[in-house]
Amino acid sequence: MAKEMIAMLLAGGQGSRLYTLTQKLAKPAVPFGGKYRIIDFPLSNCVNSGIDTVGILTQYQPLVLNEYIGNGQPWDLDRLHGGVHVLPPYQQASGSDWYKGTANAIYQNISFIERYDPKYVIILSGDQICKQDYSDFLEFHKAKGAEFSVAVMEVPWDEAGRFGLMVTDENDKITEFQEKPKEPKSNLASMGIYIFNWNILKQYLIEDENDPSSENDFGKNIIPNLLRDKRDMYAYRFDGYWKDVGTISSLWEANMEVLDPENSGINLFDDSWRIYSRNSGMTGHRIGENAILENSMITDGCDIEGEVNHSILFAGVKVEKGAVIEDAVVMGGSVIKAGAQVKHCIIAENVVIEKDAVVGAMPEGDEKGVATIGSNVVIGEGAVIGPKAMVSSDVEGGGKVW
Amino acid sequence: MVNSNADSAMGILFPNSYDSLVPELVAERLMASIPFASRYRMVDFVLSSMVNSGIDNISLIVKKNYHSLMDHLGSGREWDLTRKKGGLNIIPPFAQKTVNVYNGRVEALASILDYLKRQSEKYVIMADTNIAVNFDFADLLQQHIDSSADVTIAYTKEEIPADLVNIDITKKDLYYTLDVADDGRVKNIVVNDKESGEKNVSMNIYVINRKLLIEQIEAAYVSGLTYFERDIIAPKLGTLNVRGYQHTGYYARIVSTRSYFRENMKMLNADNVEGLFSPSPIYTKIRDDNPTRYMNGVHVKNVMAADGCIIEGEVENSILFRGVKIGKGAKVRNCVLMQDTVIETGADVEYTITDKNVHISAYKELKGTDSFPVFVEKRKNV
Repeated sequence: MAKEMIAMLLAGGQGSRLYTLTQKLAKPAVPFGGKYRIIDFPLSNCVNSGIDTVGILTQYQPLVLNEYIGNGQPWDLDRLHGGVHVLPPYQQASGSDWYKGTANAIYQNISFIERYDPKYVIILSGDQICKQDYSDFLEFHKAKGAEFSVAVMEVPWDEAGRFGLMVTDENDKITEFQEKPKEPKSNLASMGIYIFNWNILKQYLIEDENDPSSENDFGKNIIPNLLRDKRDMYAYRFDGYWKDVGTISSLWEANMEVLDPENSGINLFDDSWRIYSRNSGMTGHRIGENAILENSMITDGCDIEGEVNHSILFAGVKVEKGAVIEDAVVMGGSVIKAGAQVKHCIIAENVVIEKDAVVGAMPEGDEKGVATIGSNVVIGEGAVIGPKAMVSSDVEGGGKVW
Repeated sequence: MVNSNADSAMGILFPNSYDSLVPELVAERLMASIPFASRYRMVDFVLSSMVNSGIDNISLIVKKNYHSLMDHLGSGREWDLTRKKGGLNIIPPFAQKTVNVYNGRVEALASILDYLKRQSEKYVIMADTNIAVNFDFADLLQQHIDSSADVTIAYTKEEIPADLVNIDITKKDLYYTLDVADDGRVKNIVVNDKESGEKNVSMNIYVINRKLLIEQIEAAYVSGLTYFERDIIAPKLGTLNVRGYQHTGYYARIVSTRSYFRENMKMLNADNVEGLFSPSPIYTKIRDDNPTRYMNGVHVKNVMAADGCIIEGEVENSILFRGVKIGKGAKVRNCVLMQDTVIETGADVEYTITDKNVHISAYKELKGTDSFPVFVEKRKNV
């Protein structure tokens, strides 16, 4: 049975700029927004857009991601024909190889794609927070008679040089592609989301694989090759919320934007476009006698006795009496003990902040940054963690990390 | 857990049991699907406990108003009961020549006799769903086997709840108290005991050998008997080895709308939550709500809330189920607000239970008392 379009989700990135958060975790598995992981967004977008077949290309720290995806049931992707499949590199008769680049990852899975005989393939990226209807994108692709389309965002001109830019004519047809140029000719930044006609994609993947000098990358090789051959390439303008959460500060910022859906445009309270996730299964959260809450998101299993201001607490976080949390992202199962101060920072999963410890600080002059505590770390009693610190191992009581 | 059929048990639940005690709450549902403790339904507790005790063949004999239960349970996936063999099995009344809905456990069990005969488990564990409890069925079964009992009945030691003592026995479900000897043998079963003082109140959780159950039900059905406890067990205490099993852990027994309110309120105490939700997890249907959002200027004190709520006003001493919205300036105190209740701006609500999808309009006042909480029925606009 042929599928009109299937999705291939690039989730192999190491996410090295998330440092301690991705030491034991692939970037797409990084928790986000109180009860989600980054990959919930593209997966939910697929299901909400009517795409029921998704291949997830993974090779870095796949354990958590594999277990999280499981049979795909939380996203309604446990299907008889299709559904979600995690695709690590595997040994073939001709030998085996890690995924050398984004294009090579798809190349190595040509036979997976062919099983579904799709007309179109959408390439997605596993490190973005975005709610997008891919069926609108496909409609655009078909209406233009395109062979390749890329979703683009308008970015401010003075920032354009940081992105891969699509230069287009008045019909949105792409005439030129500039990768992080010094002198941008366009402010349409590629979101790294592509729709290909499968026959075209396959042809260029094979050609690319046979080119020993290629880096096997969509941006560096495949798109330039398509341009060289003057293929029908179009840019699809997307104007919703989109954020690459590849760095600590952008991840923190995106979480804070969740607290302000009215202005930021990322609304998780949208019944028409739900984001699905594997649930914690914990009881309702408890707000105690002495708790003070202000503009925050609290998830199942939390137990709050202290003060929580402008923060996101994931499932099962405990905040003891007298503890203060402000502008913070506290991931699942972490415990903030009495009198501790946790500000302007990211606390990963199952961290313990002992009594009276101080983590991070509100920005003041040059002293600003998002302090980050890696998973399972214990910050000892009275320890002080500076606003720019990145902590991956336990800190003894009274210790200082700056 | 590896179970051979030699000592394994199947479960049978009676989701309509004690419906009669909470008429408002079961207007459009049954006891088993009454929401409890912010994100659960009553059935979740016994069902999860059975699953956690290694029981993976569970039948629910439903009688009426069971749409909400079927919707809640689905294929049983959340309880890990989507199985080829055993799993979850919902048995609606079978339309016979004359459609008659069963009375009592005897008729209910008689209607599934063929099914019971086809099962392979040696034991049957039966339970109602009006008690929220984290119950160790494996321990119960082990005691049953070790004591060579024919029947084991779980009970709690407590004063008989006043709401039970005062019921009209002609209209309501019966309750049972046990005389248990020091050796654990049940010497007497009293129906609707009215004596005061601490009693062994049956939890209506029974372990019985499956073949013995089939024999007893066949005999009782032919004799036109109705109640398993009153008509089968009580008269045979001399010949059958019937034993008691005392449950000493936490439990929440729903015997009236008032006790429903109180048992919910008890969830505001962390020790009670610990008692009900440990050692084993309680599973429930997933709704994929976002985390709960507390806006600027909220006052929240002593609250249990599920995901998906949006809170702008004041909330104190209350249980909020999934998707509750409390508007700016609204005051909610000592309330149980079920799923998707909306309390608009400035409304003042106290000692009130709202059923699902209730809408309290702006600046409305609604006040009950601790002993008589106001109840607002499903989908009602106030």
